[in-house]
Amino acid sequence: MSERPCADPLTCILCPVGCELEVRRTDRGLDVRGNQCEKGIGFATEEVLYPKRNLATSVPVRGSETIMVSVRLSDRVPREMLFPILAEIARLRPEPPVRRGQVLIADVLGTGVDVIATRTIGSERSPRGDPPEV
Amino acid sequence: MDNGAGDDRLKTARAEGRGLPLKEGAVPLYDDDRIDTGLPLKEGAVPPYDVVVIGGGPAGLAAALGARRAGAGSVLILERDKRLGGILNQCIHDGFGLFLYNETITGPEYAERLAEDVGREGIRTETGAMVLDLGADRLLRVNSRSGYRLIRAGSVILAMGCRERTRDMIEIPGTRPAGILTAGSAQNLVNLQNLRIGNEAVILGSGDIGLIMARRLTYEGMAVKGVFEIMPWTNGLERNVRQCLMDFGIPLELSSTVIEVRGRDRVASVIVARVDEELRPVPGSEREVRCDTLLLSVGLIPENELARRAGVELSPLTGGAVVDETFMTSVPGIFSCGNVLQIHDVADFASHEGFAAGAFAARFARGELPAGDKVRLCPGRGVRYCLPQTARTGTANVDLSFRVTRPLRACRVTAVGRKSGKKYFGKKYGRLLPSELQRVRIRPAIEEDLEVACHE
Repeated sequence: MSERPCADPLTCILCPVGCELEVRRTDRGLDVRGNQCEKGIGFATEEVLYPKRNLATSVPVRGSETIMVSVRLSDRVPREMLFPILAEIARLRPEPPVRRGQVLIADVLGTGVDVIATRTIGSERSPRGDPPEV
Repeated sequence: MDNGAGDDRLKTARAEGRGLPLKEGAVPLYDDDRIDTGLPLKEGAVPPYDVVVIGGGPAGLAAALGARRAGAGSVLILERDKRLGGILNQCIHDGFGLFLYNETITGPEYAERLAEDVGREGIRTETGAMVLDLGADRLLRVNSRSGYRLIRAGSVILAMGCRERTRDMIEIPGTRPAGILTAGSAQNLVNLQNLRIGNEAVILGSGDIGLIMARRLTYEGMAVKGVFEIMPWTNGLERNVRQCLMDFGIPLELSSTVIEVRGRDRVASVIVARVDEELRPVPGSEREVRCDTLLLSVGLIPENELARRAGVELSPLTGGAVVDETFMTSVPGIFSCGNVLQIHDVADFASHEGFAAGAFAARFARGELPAGDKVRLCPGRGVRYCLPQTARTGTANVDLSFRVTRPLRACRVTAVGRKSGKKYFGKKYGRLLPSELQRVRIRPAIEEDLEVACHE
């Protein structure tokens, strides 16, 4: 255990395989084992030094409390930015129509990452107030 | 039903395979002669659709594409919801598409992309269309926006997905207050309907949707008091334990469960207890956890009511149809894929199965019937189930799915011929978990019954 300053083994979250990674600090930097692909090395390094995550939530469109547009970040951000960004997104009321991939907040909180829509919503509403079908 | 006599009538009707009891003298619901279908139903008539897919989720959309790309002339998807995509629409988290699109996207994006492909390929889709009944003759009775009608298909692909297990199915004692939801219902209310479901939640079961919802509720400002799992291992993917629980300091307690719900109008607390090796609560380990919401993530059940109506043989191990290497069920021309066939962990794999099933269904509709005797593929030691359950002799490159019974380390999976002892497949694994559906390819042509086993 003395060789493993990164106490718990890490689980790679980049794909559903979820490799169990063992990270050791050596003279030449970090030594990563247990990864089944190249991505694991980058992930482990990042996870030890500077963990990053994506974020997904949904907000109602302008003028409605029930028509929801789901959103995510265009790239992962430092983990401690998640809640500040959530607070920004909570104020968002996108104007329909909304296109999948449309940038709703550019460079959110100076992270260099955008908040983008993950579904398409047309401009017309059906009589029941349902979003038009995709 | 208002009285006991009504209950009896309903029971009789169910036993006879009818949905609803008929009053004396009433006209049966499914009397074909009395319904003007406008469709040819005479013998020898050409079915209006080569392939009809029931369900427009990740498996069904892919199945339709698979059928079309394999040459099916007319393909129809019947979806009961008002938009395509199935459960993907409420799965707004990322992690989808890694295998299909080689990038990580969210459920709604994955659904839209697949639906766009479907639109481009001239596949007909009908939303708001509920299949009421399916016969072994591939006659579908459909309630659609244009009314009740019959549809005949060259082949039918079942892609109806699954349902969540409920409180009734796991029999938690206690009161029956508001605030008890399945994780998927909570996901729908929060993500699609903008509703706040409570303030303090306890999650029973560690299925992936439960883990995803633990993070989601935390984002929405709810306090998640803990996730309790009756088994000594988690039911969800490792990466979800990491990014949905550990990231937010949400405790995960294994070998423990909720043994009582308290509260009159609304959940006030739950009693949790540790369980022994036989999963019985350990006396003295009980403790009360205050919460106003209990989420259940305690397993998924393939939704096979229609398959049963058609007389499709179901497997007690998977809850889905027994299929051959072409994903065809015991009823010729009826195929099955996605979560209605077996519970998947990843939507991409449900789609993958859909593409394959679609291609085989297109061939069947053209009259290309597979030939050969069937052999069985049976789960052996350490393997809970394997699929397909049968294969035709002489088939090479059969894709096999399986799950192990318990977590295993440094193990070896083999597929061995029962008669000859020949090894058809062997692979070493560093770690295998029951929560992970594994897929492998058996390359040699299969000539006999196989047993798939896992040795530590």
